[in-house]
Amino acid sequence: MPEIIEKSNAFLREKYYSFTHSSGLPVYVFPKKLSTTYAIFATRYGSIDNCFRLAGDSEFTRVPDGIAHYLEHKLFENPNGEDTFTRYACYGANANAYTSNTMTAYLFSCTEHFDESLEILLDFVTTPYFTPETVQKEQGIIAQEIKMYDDHPFRRLYQMMLEGMYEYNNVRINVAGTVESISHITDKLLYDCYRVFYNLSNMMLIVCGDVEVDEIDKICTKVLKPSEPIEIIRENPDEPASVFEPRREQAMQVAKPLFGIGVKDTSIPSDPRERMKKNAAHSILNNVLFGRSGEFYNKLYVEGLLSGQFDFGYEINQSFAFNALFGESSDPERVYERFSECVANAARDGIDREDFERSRRAMYASMVKCFDSTEEIANYFLSFRVDDCDLLDYVDIIANISWDDVMNVLREVYLPDRYALSIVKPLE
Amino acid sequence: MGLRIIDVADGIRLNYLECDKFKTNLLSVNLIAPLEREHAGARALIPNILMRGCKSMPTMADINKKLEYLYASSVGARNHKRGELQVFGLAAEMIDSAYTLGNENLTLEVCDIVTELLLDPVCADGKFDPDYTESEKSNLIDLINSNINNKAYYARERLIAEMCRDEAFGASELGTVESVSALTPADVYSEYKYALCHFPIEIFFVGKCDIDRLSDKLADKLGALPRDVIALPKTEVRRAAGETRRVTEDMPVNQGKLTIGMRSGVTLNDPDFYAMLMFNAMFGGEVTSKLFMNVREKMSLCYYCSSSPDAVKGLIIIQSGIESDKFEVAKKAIFEQLDDIRAGRFTDDEQSSALRSLCNGYRELSDSARQLESWYLGRRLAGAGGDPEDIIDSLSRVTRDEIVAAANKASVDTIYFLNGTLKEEEENA
Repeated sequence: MPEIIEKSNAFLREKYYSFTHSSGLPVYVFPKKLSTTYAIFATRYGSIDNCFRLAGDSEFTRVPDGIAHYLEHKLFENPNGEDTFTRYACYGANANAYTSNTMTAYLFSCTEHFDESLEILLDFVTTPYFTPETVQKEQGIIAQEIKMYDDHPFRRLYQMMLEGMYEYNNVRINVAGTVESISHITDKLLYDCYRVFYNLSNMMLIVCGDVEVDEIDKICTKVLKPSEPIEIIRENPDEPASVFEPRREQAMQVAKPLFGIGVKDTSIPSDPRERMKKNAAHSILNNVLFGRSGEFYNKLYVEGLLSGQFDFGYEINQSFAFNALFGESSDPERVYERFSECVANAARDGIDREDFERSRRAMYASMVKCFDSTEEIANYFLSFRVDDCDLLDYVDIIANISWDDVMNVLREVYLPDRYALSIVKPLE
Repeated sequence: MGLRIIDVADGIRLNYLECDKFKTNLLSVNLIAPLEREHAGARALIPNILMRGCKSMPTMADINKKLEYLYASSVGARNHKRGELQVFGLAAEMIDSAYTLGNENLTLEVCDIVTELLLDPVCADGKFDPDYTESEKSNLIDLINSNINNKAYYARERLIAEMCRDEAFGASELGTVESVSALTPADVYSEYKYALCHFPIEIFFVGKCDIDRLSDKLADKLGALPRDVIALPKTEVRRAAGETRRVTEDMPVNQGKLTIGMRSGVTLNDPDFYAMLMFNAMFGGEVTSKLFMNVREKMSLCYYCSSSPDAVKGLIIIQSGIESDKFEVAKKAIFEQLDDIRAGRFTDDEQSSALRSLCNGYRELSDSARQLESWYLGRRLAGAGGDPEDIIDSLSRVTRDEIVAAANKASVDTIYFLNGTLKEEEENA
């Protein structure tokens, strides 16, 4: 049995165990006395990773947009022709997978036969099987997935906001690619990407539920073959601090205009702790400036410029960081003006100290709510871990954010050349 | 597990589901009304107006600040339909006292807020505040109009409106743009007063608390309401469809939405309910179902193709997103899957997979306070008792013949197709 590290958080009364399995796979186990056990097997491989090389290779390999997501679909097929969902179904597990900008995750939840389901998870993800025929078959399915999202106004809004903010960074690429780009995907390209990104040292297993650590170690040993660690170098083009195109719009079948305001942040700390600190400061700032208790939201709501359909969130990882506000409004331009005024005033006058204290406390308390579901815990934990950060640390970091920390991120990021407005308008 | 039901006042019940595994507790107050076209809009509006302010917290900002101080507790408006009933009210979540600084009793504090919002709204001249009313009318109208933003949801709503056009179920729980526009603050206020007097009120608490204190507090706050409770109508269940209707609507979108409404004629109080659940799981309810495995995986016609039952109204709704010119091919493929189950062409493995998936779903239910509340509320409204474990037990006893019989009982009523007319050139423009 490898060395097991225990980490806990006194406020949450939660803990997890971590170890590196002898195959090279990092494993995280979050004990939780619930009926549902949830497992995720994830790789640091998302839509942004379309140009890469291994340490030692001289040339970068460029692959079609959307290939990570395509690969996710195709891994569900097995060499003996059996479908992975059918294998899981023998044990009643509920399985799925998703691909984001930065990762691909395979998961299941179950209330019995956890060992068997975990074996299936580890087995099918480490057993690629692609042929020209099976690759071809998926084109139609994924084309419909792309078209479905193309008809989804909030997805389009988000995509346009990213395209407006970023000129070179791959976050501007649609996770599923385009109908055109996926037509270039072949079984050979899938194998090339698989060999690089599905190395166990680039992956992790997270389990949350009523499980034992040594039981998971045993199943890993049964299924996984040791894998030599590799070093992946991703092409990381320089991205200007200011936005690429400050404004994008599209007409679609919607009832009322939708707006997205992106705030681009290119100053990304290399230290994971500093990234978490920045994340926490921005999240508190968001609540102070744009939250349901704040002046901005309440004034615009009363004036009829905003409705309950308004949301915001800051995202940061090693590759990109931005803040985003989304909503529905009869007058997106006016909302954008008021947004600009709001942040300019806050930067000039400083945010109210009582608002800051209340928001910090609320954010800290709301973390408690994330720990009632094995699914939520595992996915939230993964979103931090995939970026070398830690969910339990993050909770303590929130508690220690100061008013000055928040003012620093406000003054650093909220500059007019960092804003990108995207609008989905109703058709004429 | 098991629901404990406490009578708080005339027609007002506290349903207590004691669970000590959650860090967050849930409290909801649900007014239960018949779903009626002419009143749905006003009833939908009531919770939204209540959320604008009350006597001690007259603005939204006041309410939200107070909730943030109470460890990010939340209170929100709710409004949905369950069969031919409209359920509207307020729902709150608060963390367990154990995670507060001074062991504060958040349940009782949030209960005070919820009851004040419910009973002491901001009023002027014996009616709702006119500004709040107008503002929430406008938001509700936007919400009704924005149904079109989500094409899959829109197609489903349109299917039900067409299929149940002469049944109460055909009405939207949001009302219509016309009916909401016509409402005055006095209209909505009198609807509100009527609701507090005449509608059954189901209060749910999921989590752990001192239930006697909570129940005393609720009795104290709600006991003074003048009550004269109406009897709720039963949801009309049509056991079989007539001739199949076909409705097509063009829209400039990339993907066509094929939706098919079937009458299963089976509700959660019927003995063959469990066979119907098994049939649906094998047909289109799970990723191992015939629709997923064939229409998506084998034929590559779509990204999603699934079926879901409405256990109160006795319907099964099939939904898929397809290339618009594949309408006939997809429809044929879907009906072939249906015919296969009707003719008993399925393996024992398909049957046992469906059973395991369904049972797993019912066991996972017990890990979510929200899902538990929703499930028990649905049972309560249908006059059915039982716990999720009982469902698992009944599902396990369903036979192959019963599944075939359930499949043969389901008949196709209406096919609604949202025909995407956007061409490739336009979408790239």
